[in-house]
Amino acid sequence: MKKLLWAECQKIRRLNIVWITVFATVMVAVIVFLGGQDVYDGSRNIDNAGWYMTMAQPWATFFVLPAVIALLGSYMICREEQEDTIKSLRLIPVNEVSLTAVKMIVTFAFSILLYLLLFTITFSVEAILHFSDLSLEMVLGFLKAYFLDGLGIFLAISPIIAFVSRMKKGYWLALLFAEIYSFAGLFMSMSNFLKALYPITAVFTISGYYDASTSQVILSCISLLLCGCLSAFILKGLKHSEKS
Amino acid sequence: MLRLIQIEFLKLRRRKFVWLMLLAALFMPFFALLYFKYVKELGGDPLQFYRWSAFGYTLWFILPVVLGTLCTMLMYEEKQHDMLKQLWIVPISKMGYFFSKFFLVLIYSICFMLITAVASVMFSVLPGYVEFDWGSVLYLLKKCLEIGVLTSFTMLPILALSASQKGYILPVSITLVYVFLGFILMTVNMYLHPLSSMAVIVMRNGDIPGLVFTQALNIPLAFLCICVWDIVAVLLANIALGRRK
Repeated sequence: MKKLLWAECQKIRRLNIVWITVFATVMVAVIVFLGGQDVYDGSRNIDNAGWYMTMAQPWATFFVLPAVIALLGSYMICREEQEDTIKSLRLIPVNEVSLTAVKMIVTFAFSILLYLLLFTITFSVEAILHFSDLSLEMVLGFLKAYFLDGLGIFLAISPIIAFVSRMKKGYWLALLFAEIYSFAGLFMSMSNFLKALYPITAVFTISGYYDASTSQVILSCISLLLCGCLSAFILKGLKHSEKS
Repeated sequence: MLRLIQIEFLKLRRRKFVWLMLLAALFMPFFALLYFKYVKELGGDPLQFYRWSAFGYTLWFILPVVLGTLCTMLMYEEKQHDMLKQLWIVPISKMGYFFSKFFLVLIYSICFMLITAVASVMFSVLPGYVEFDWGSVLYLLKKCLEIGVLTSFTMLPILALSASQKGYILPVSITLVYVFLGFILMTVNMYLHPLSSMAVIVMRNGDIPGLVFTQALNIPLAFLCICVWDIVAVLLANIALGRRK
């Protein structure tokens, strides 16, 4: 398992998709910053301490990051078959279930890292603009929220990665499915019950972005854990094509 | 050119996913149905319903993302199977090839919005939220046609980007960023991004309830913004396809 993880880390260094996901994250931060130039109540939104770190979370989550994380995950799983490297891996031999599990672990790490990158950018900008207005408690609260966002979003989209990998119809479908799935979260947030149940918005219930009761947090945890279990169940039966 | 467009449509017969993407046109009308059933009273105003079903997220997000994906698919699948070489041997003009794809996107976009319009009318009239009225239906159709035509032009830069790239990961990721940028820039400067400029043109009369512009409306500037982006996109596509062997 350790060797597989090491090998995946070596392979990922050559992937352009990693830089594309980083680029998408940076662009989200830039776009939300531009949105913060809007004047409300006589002052720019971006000048309010905490506004940038607060707003980057839902915008990035509803519109961009789940889709690119799903794309990254399904790409890593499907490329072995599409680029015909699975044959060589079978000759070694490599346990395909372990291989898939390792790829999911790397995707999980990337999900958290992308959210931490977003946190770093938003925090740096806030620190440059109004360092004195930021408290340690606020910053640590946001750090925790972004970390939980990364963790939760991975669990929320893991069934899509697993499903697309199983469908074998091209991994970029993951991007489209994940985009619709995360976008629908905008509407689910209108109802308190659906907000806690729907995996994408459940992430915000857990991370503290939404004010939620204990029962809502528990419901959200169950919803995300079910997503994780569902993806594990789908991936367990994943078998790369024998023809390849 | 017409022959090329016809061939593009014939190729679509084998791409089931392209047709499946049309189902996304039903997303917002269906959501509007649920919204006015469970969250808010409609009060019989069809424009309020259409604002949710056709002039809201469909215009800002769903249609551009679907078209961006379509542009990427159209360009990628031929490159993937190395069909381009054979097309150049025929020979066909590189810009003719590019514009045939664009016309396909244009027609797809119009069909998408027409489905949205029909679904909006059905989901509002059949449950009895609004009474059927030709005036409002024709208004919806007119606006949907406008959105369909203009959005395809605003997605021309993504088509050009897809033409210039071997893979599809960059174009589809850029589509998301591009759409999100247009959405956010609306409040900052409406004439920087084609999507926000398109919204200005569509909502020029200020007759869509609940939409307030914070900047002065300037329709020629909005057209200029779209034209500048499109000209740059066509030039980029011309250079990229010209280099491709």
